[in-house]
Amino acid sequence: MTRSYVPWLLLLLALVLAAIYLFPLYWMYVTSLKTGSEIFANPPSFWPAEPNLEIYPSTWARRTMGTFLWNSVVIASGVTAFTVILGTGCAYVLARYRSVWIDIGLFAILMLQVLPASVMITPLFVGFNQVGLLNSPRFAVVLAAAAKSMPFFVVLVRATFMSVPRELEEAALVDGNSRVGAFFSIVLPLARNGILVCAILTFMSSFGEYIYSKSIIQDTALQPASVGLSGFLGPNSTDWNSIMAYSAIYVTPILAVFVLLQRRIVSGLTSRALK
Amino acid sequence: MSRIFNSMRDGKGFDLILVGAAMVFLLALAGLPLVYNVVMSFQQVDMFTLGSLVRPFAGFANYVAVVQQPEFWLVTKNTLIFVFASMAGQFIIGFALALFFAQNFPGASTIRGLFLVSWVMPGLVVGGIWSFILAGDYGVLNAILKGLGLTQATIFWKSDPNFSLWAVVIANIWLGLAFNMLLLSVGLAAIPRDLYEAAELDGANAFQRFWTITLPMMRSTIGAVLSLGLIGTLQQFDLFPALTEGGPANTSNVAGYWAWQMSFQLYDFAKGATISVMMFVLVLFASVVYVRSTRHEVRG
Repeated sequence: MTRSYVPWLLLLLALVLAAIYLFPLYWMYVTSLKTGSEIFANPPSFWPAEPNLEIYPSTWARRTMGTFLWNSVVIASGVTAFTVILGTGCAYVLARYRSVWIDIGLFAILMLQVLPASVMITPLFVGFNQVGLLNSPRFAVVLAAAAKSMPFFVVLVRATFMSVPRELEEAALVDGNSRVGAFFSIVLPLARNGILVCAILTFMSSFGEYIYSKSIIQDTALQPASVGLSGFLGPNSTDWNSIMAYSAIYVTPILAVFVLLQRRIVSGLTSRALK
Repeated sequence: MSRIFNSMRDGKGFDLILVGAAMVFLLALAGLPLVYNVVMSFQQVDMFTLGSLVRPFAGFANYVAVVQQPEFWLVTKNTLIFVFASMAGQFIIGFALALFFAQNFPGASTIRGLFLVSWVMPGLVVGGIWSFILAGDYGVLNAILKGLGLTQATIFWKSDPNFSLWAVVIANIWLGLAFNMLLLSVGLAAIPRDLYEAAELDGANAFQRFWTITLPMMRSTIGAVLSLGLIGTLQQFDLFPALTEGGPANTSNVAGYWAWQMSFQLYDFAKGATISVMMFVLVLFASVVYVRSTRHEVRG
């Protein structure tokens, strides 16, 4: 009986911890609403004196965010399409068999997962330059980023396929389906949720992709939002008002999707793949 | 002919197409560049030979030149500090949070979910927010530290050579915390409850239970988390351009960012490739540890 208050104390502590952890996000929104002089106030104010919502449309227009965000969407969609189309089949086969060759294939994919983008960008840039891909820079970025995100996708989706009962596919084969038919009408629908979660994760991470775009895309009209932000963000930046407004516009859609789908994403991630 | 077609629809051919397409794609865009990178590190690459495949052979000249760069040892030291400090911070705080949220209280899993938001945010935006928080004169962290009486002086996190690397480390810990906590939570949830009950009956206190049950049962999870942390930290790039650009005077520069600067700011692609190869050796070491620790799980 004496310990019945303990869970509520823990809840209180959890809320405090969450508040500390989420403070940077709060600070982004608050700063974007502050006026120019209030931003540089010392000590800083924790709530804007006169919230100024005008900053969002003006930053949107001044920084041509429409173009930047559209490019981000194009690149992220391309990356997701490549990753899902190529990765799903690969994951399916890797889940279906067990042999030395499968182990070797998995090992190769895991190795490719660990290559830092900063290591890959130099040879990719020189190689793209030689085959002429730099003339369609967004496509080049899509190719490079898809190769980067595919290993993670394959490992996660493979775990989803492994949870699809083998008997269902075999029953479909006995009933006269071809392998292709069984794959598309039985296995794929059963693994749909897992694939969807992984596709959303791929989209979100390539929506913020920076290093490949920064290095490969020179034309401002084709650059994604991350490169647009880097244009006025650096060690000596002072235009905090629009940096924070820009960031808020940029990440709010991602955060909204994440909060809405959080339960699914977490359970998709914590299934067997990453135990 | 029809046999090939049939096998494509009905047999091994179908599997081979599915796995082959992905493998060819990955080999072309990840395997090939990797080999090309090693080749370039032994070549003399400049603006005139950038477009051609056959370039003058340079032997180990690039490697010698990189090691002889005045900032080489500083960058090496920074890379090691950055990697170990980030990993230690992410792991310890992540483990503490995972243990905390494994307790039974209302709203535990919902609040834990909130801790994952940093994981989906673009690294550049995270860098931008922390850049403002860590600012010297008007940064909120300094204001909080002063308010708590922890420091009297104004710390110029980004421009003081003693602190610039730590500014990036702090931001990186915040960024990577979520992933560590998530994986460790999964590992914790997999430990059978009755082990704890049995230990409690035997009179083991909380610390003993942690030391003799939690840690040993989590061994493979911890191995995977640590090696993924190492890999993730070595991959970190976006925070550097947003926070310090490696400065002042390379005091916050690490190998990955240095390689990019060589290639894309100084247009010295040979040196960029050489640094990348050196870094790759480090990543290779990490991934061998990672694969060894996850092999059982992945084969499932």
